Amino acid sequence: MTGNKTGTKVRSEREHMKKALDLISVLLLAAGAVYYLGGSFSGLAALSSGAALYLFNIYYFQGKEKTLSAVKKYLSRLIVPLIGIAAAVVSGAVIMLLTGYDPIESYTALFYGGFVKNWYVAVLNATPLIFTGLSIAFAFKAGLFNIGAEGQYYIGAMAGAWLGFKLELPPLIAIILVYAAGSFLASLWNFIPALLKVKTGAHEVITTMMFAHIARYLSPIFIRAFGGDPATSTHPYVTWELPESSWLLSFKSFIPDANYRLHTGILIAVAAAFFVSYVLENTKTGFEIKAVGFNKEAARVQGISVGKNIFIAMMFAGALAGMAGITQVLGLDHKLFENLQAGYGWNGISVALLASNNPVGVIFTSLLWGALDAGGQYMARTTHTPNSIVEIIKGIMLFLIVAKYIYIYAARLIKKKKGGGSV
Amino acid sequence: MSFLMFLNTDLLVATVRLSTPITLAALGATVCERAGVVNIAMEGIMIIGAFFAAVTAFYTGNPWLGLASGVLAGGIYSLIHAAAAISLHLDHVVSGAVLNILAFGITRYLMVLFFGHPGTSDAIPSFLGDYQFAVPLLSKIPVLGPVFFNQTPIIYISFILVIFLAWFLKHTRTGLHIRAAGEHPLALETIGVSVYKIKYLAVFISGLASGLAGAYLSIENNVSFTEGMTNGKGFIALAAMISGGWSAAGSFLSALFFGFADALQIRFQVFRIFHVPEELFIIFPYAATIIAVAGFVRRSRPPKADGVDFIIEKENE
Amino acid sequence: MKKGIRLAVLIIAAAMMLSVASCKKEEKKAEEKKLLASMATDVGGLGDKSFNDGANQGLELVKEKLGADVKVVESKQQTDYVPNLIGLAEDGSDIVFAVGFLMEQAVKEAAKNNPDTKFAGIDIWAGDGDPSNFMGILYKEHESGYLAGVVAGMMTKEYASASPKFNDKNVVGVVLGMFIPPVEKFEVGFIQGVKSVNPDCKVLSVTTGSFVDQAKGKEAALAMIEQGADIVFQVAGLTGLGVIQACKEKGVAAIGVDVDQSAVAPDTVLTSAVKQIPRTVYLAVEAVKNNTFTGGTKVYGIEDDATGISPFHEFESVVPQAVKDKVAQVTADMKAGKIKIETTRAALGM
Repeated sequence: MTGNKTGTKVRSEREHMKKALDLISVLLLAAGAVYYLGGSFSGLAALSSGAALYLFNIYYFQGKEKTLSAVKKYLSRLIVPLIGIAAAVVSGAVIMLLTGYDPIESYTALFYGGFVKNWYVAVLNATPLIFTGLSIAFAFKAGLFNIGAEGQYYIGAMAGAWLGFKLELPPLIAIILVYAAGSFLASLWNFIPALLKVKTGAHEVITTMMFAHIARYLSPIFIRAFGGDPATSTHPYVTWELPESSWLLSFKSFIPDANYRLHTGILIAVAAAFFVSYVLENTKTGFEIKAVGFNKEAARVQGISVGKNIFIAMMFAGALAGMAGITQVLGLDHKLFENLQAGYGWNGISVALLASNNPVGVIFTSLLWGALDAGGQYMARTTHTPNSIVEIIKGIMLFLIVAKYIYIYAARLIKKKKGGGSV
Repeated sequence: MSFLMFLNTDLLVATVRLSTPITLAALGATVCERAGVVNIAMEGIMIIGAFFAAVTAFYTGNPWLGLASGVLAGGIYSLIHAAAAISLHLDHVVSGAVLNILAFGITRYLMVLFFGHPGTSDAIPSFLGDYQFAVPLLSKIPVLGPVFFNQTPIIYISFILVIFLAWFLKHTRTGLHIRAAGEHPLALETIGVSVYKIKYLAVFISGLASGLAGAYLSIENNVSFTEGMTNGKGFIALAAMISGGWSAAGSFLSALFFGFADALQIRFQVFRIFHVPEELFIIFPYAATIIAVAGFVRRSRPPKADGVDFIIEKENE
Repeated sequence: MKKGIRLAVLIIAAAMMLSVASCKKEEKKAEEKKLLASMATDVGGLGDKSFNDGANQGLELVKEKLGADVKVVESKQQTDYVPNLIGLAEDGSDIVFAVGFLMEQAVKEAAKNNPDTKFAGIDIWAGDGDPSNFMGILYKEHESGYLAGVVAGMMTKEYASASPKFNDKNVVGVVLGMFIPPVEKFEVGFIQGVKSVNPDCKVLSVTTGSFVDQAKGKEAALAMIEQGADIVFQVAGLTGLGVIQACKEKGVAAIGVDVDQSAVAPDTVLTSAVKQIPRTVYLAVEAVKNNTFTGGTKVYGIEDDATGISPFHEFESVVPQAVKDKVAQVTADMKAGKIKIETTRAALGM
């Protein structure tokens, strides 16, 4: 009896201990992520120690085998992307060699520029991409192809600028309201495509794409209406500056070393990714949307309203892509530019697919894309290699990472050879 | 100038010119999707076709060789899509997106290698627009004559292709096989036809057609290649194919509709009928497409097995 | 258990030290070097046959005449502007050019953060509050447009008999890429130029919405030619190549933009409304070399030979002396400040 009691006591103590350590590791990971995304590499230390603590926790409380299996689990997820990246890098090197550029010099510049020197640019590039990637990934989950995310991006940007001008409120409230109302307006941009999809079956690829073109050409009209003060500039191609109350907090305000342009929009993007992940995995709506995306007929048989869920998915996707535009305006530019080639909607397709539509995965693929773009610029500046090679490497990478069957074939081939040898 | 002066034959001729690249790419996409392979890569294939057509025409001085190489380049490039989507069982949309990304990188990279500068290629010495010819007698028919029977080579090819593909898909053995591959691939396989081969063929045809669309832009309509000259036409073709109900004739009509709206939009600007920002004119064809899709297009159905991965595990391999 | 915690702390400490050690500060190289002039393009990139190419030509000129090193980097998206400009400054550039009005904010930021480097912005305005190491360079595009308009206005009516390219409809056209300020100034100037010599002339105008869509440019020009336009002015970047092609096919005349585009189609391009970006880039670099660089806005116009029209080349014999005299006279009047040219459509009541 007494022995049993002490046993319980010890166990509960161990439980507390485990929970506390878990909490510390999560906090370390979160703080590390914030600092790392803020451009401070001390964040990496916190990240890696958080991860180490997490593993140590498993080791200490659950034993060696569990640790190994956890490590294996994460590594096995990483193995295909890493092989894909490596193979793309090698193919890029071959192309460079064939066309007379130095691959080692180029890659040193590419990776140093993207992940170290101009890491903050990578984060800036990734911020809108995460939102549009999420938008596209979410629609894909419902079996929809939101090819017009670009348009919702423009609407979000316009709505963000417009509300930023109109709402004269204290900082935090202004930002929250702009996000709420702006993403609502952007989701409204998908209202007609959603309605047509449900009522007449008009394909969303047609309607959202046409709406994207429309939104894109509405932006110069908007800019002319809200800018071009000849007293400050001779060029009315850009709106007035937003009042500071609607600017997003910059990292510099709490990390002194951070680049002054780097804003906390990336944190909102990351939070949005976890939110989308939560919605898809843990809510009824998420379940229904996935069911509709997986098989409409089966979903209908189960009593799930296909129309309603398609509608929800389209509107939500519109809101997410709109947030990309809002974040860009409130965080980075503080005004709306005549953005001749935004392209975030199109690139969002790549990052969503690269992450196989996994919302949390979109964060990493966007950062990778952002870093490659930032590094490509650095490479083009410091070496003679043209940065269009980066586009080619990106394409090959996407191809090799998503084409899992390559690895299955490769595995089979190896097996066959081995089998052949023994006979 | 009278108000409705722009409603003339020239408007219709312009319509045909503007819709030809869309028609060709949409025709290709129709064949591809009929075989059950989703294709969103027309934009990328077009730009590859346009580039190689211009390069060949530039170096050989012969636009016909340019035409052939543009078409072939499109076909070969599309085989990547076939290999990825059919053999490697990659999601079709993913593979298409990859092709689009790659195409812009490749052409920009090669542009510097071939011409020493990015942006636009040097002008080709002779182009297919020189080979405009009027079909005797038929071109004398009022309205229809100049629109359909006094055109340049690729435009004629596009007319022929519409008729040919409509017939081909319905009445030939291979056409039936292509459609079966998109509807009931398993049934096709059981009667001893290789679904993989049929799908490869369909993707290849779509690549040829999109390559032709690209060649039209760079060596028939114009005399040089410009980066990004497709300007979204491949995606408009996707929309045309879908709103055309996955059929050759439907794709053609939808493409014509878009071309018509675009030609009309330009004339609205020339005549400056309304005093509004020009961007509203530019928007017109897109808005018109939405209205047309909302109002007139009945619920159309893609092929049953469109985009569905088809895996045959062969035994005793 | 205590052992466990100690271990955890140790791991954290080790990881932190590792990452701190890996964060080395960069060392700037201070080598002796030649004058280095560099530029960052906007998202249009090189090969735009417009301001990016123009600035690049300016750097070529600098390389050739001043023996300086030059460096060009192309921006792919808006977030690239600041790092590219600052990066070029860190590479040891003596002057960094930001090309295109989209880079206004970026170049001013870069200038503020790199006070030892000179910056210049093509098509960018510099105000009182802007850093003194930044020079904004603007052009009076409307002057070039005006002169082109004078030629077009006279050729399409009075001297239409000079060549079979011209007809008696008294219509000319302008094809615009996107409706942005430099484009607007060219167009508005052109319209005023035409009207100044030929008040009844009809000036058609189409905006294509793109700077790269040749097919669209061609259709826009063809639609104008259908309505009797015999001279089409293109202000549309690469889209404009389609405009020139349309004019060539239909046997009418075209007017090029930004640079002398006669080489594109010598038998079609009547003249070009030029903007001498190369020359102004050269002047800015020369000022740096001679230590005479000053901040503020430099507006280049006809008096600096920075705006105007290109030679007539193959049309030299077609264009009558009266037109050439008129151009010379208008040029002189402009230099003397006798001609007031509006720069916006709003001012024309359009």
